[in-house]
Amino acid sequence: MIISLLLALSRQISLNHRWILVAMVIGILGSWLLAYYAYAIAEALEGVGQELLNATLYSAVILSAILLSLHVIPLSMSASKRAFSERRPNFFQPALYSMLVITVSCSVAREGSEIWIYVSGFLYDPGALQSAMIGGAIGAGIGMSLGAIAYYLFVFMPKKIFLPFFLVTVTLVVGGLSMQVAKQFMQIGWLESAAPMWDSSFLVSEQSWLGELLYALLGYDASPSMTQGAFYLAAIMPTISGVLWHVLHRRENNND
Amino acid sequence: MWIGTAAHAEVPVFTLEIRDHLFYPSLLVIPAGTKVKLIVLNRDTTPEEFESYELNREKVIMGGAKATIFIGPLAPGDYPFFGEFNPKTAQGLIRAED
Ligand SMILES: [Cu+2]
Repeated sequence: MIISLLLALSRQISLNHRWILVAMVIGILGSWLLAYYAYAIAEALEGVGQELLNATLYSAVILSAILLSLHVIPLSMSASKRAFSERRPNFFQPALYSMLVITVSCSVAREGSEIWIYVSGFLYDPGALQSAMIGGAIGAGIGMSLGAIAYYLFVFMPKKIFLPFFLVTVTLVVGGLSMQVAKQFMQIGWLESAAPMWDSSFLVSEQSWLGELLYALLGYDASPSMTQGAFYLAAIMPTISGVLWHVLHRRENNND
Repeated sequence: MWIGTAAHAEVPVFTLEIRDHLFYPSLLVIPAGTKVKLIVLNRDTTPEEFESYELNREKVIMGGAKATIFIGPLAPGDYPFFGEFNPKTAQGLIRAED
């Protein structure tokens, strides 16, 4: 999801697409390293290594996604008026590319390592390995087709619609990821779990296909705790304030 | 049986084992309303993922490894969990009681 969104963004603001190759190579290599050292990572720091690493990777994605959003806000506000190439100084380009690379490579590394570990469990059982691979390939196929459909939907959106849409979606994704960060800290007992704020599992259960889809897209959690809620708010705050600031700023300029 | 015993500190500790893609015990009774430290020992050579929607937890446990997961404080009730890599066999229930 986030990958097709970012690809579409770089198409929409006409960036070079080569960053995705770099990000995929780093991500896949990283995921393999994480899986290879999974045992050592898990044992590290008195058994909290895995959670801390996950939290770090999620945070890296969150931070670079927020920076990307803040970069997109002025573009989306002036979409109708000026061409992007005029507005964007070249100075921003390396920073922009590194944010894209960080976001994608960290996501791929994090999700990919779990796939490597899962597959490694079947290495000694060729029969089971085969069915696991087939299952995995079907899953990956579905995921990639959805990603491709999403990408083309995004690319053919007019810029005026795409950029605000991008901001909203990325902000929701960032919020979902921040709940994952909170969850990692609760799991190792560093943060209190407290009672869930609500339980929407009667509406959309996390086990249902809709729940799984929402989880994959937006980090849906049927019963988030107060701690997760606080992380969510903190993560969506920068983008929201950025948008507000630009709206107010523009109004002031118009009044002058 | 492997129903856990309270150890050091105030947080009670409970132990779960994974053998042949099964959880032992498959029903673990813990006190409600208090934070609990869950130790999961994976006796298999293959990795497993402890997952529970109701407990809001998921953690990969490598073959032969030991994992620590903090849960709760929980309201009284039943909280199912399963092994995500062997969901058909590896099923269990945590029961929180006053
Ligand atoms: Cu995604």
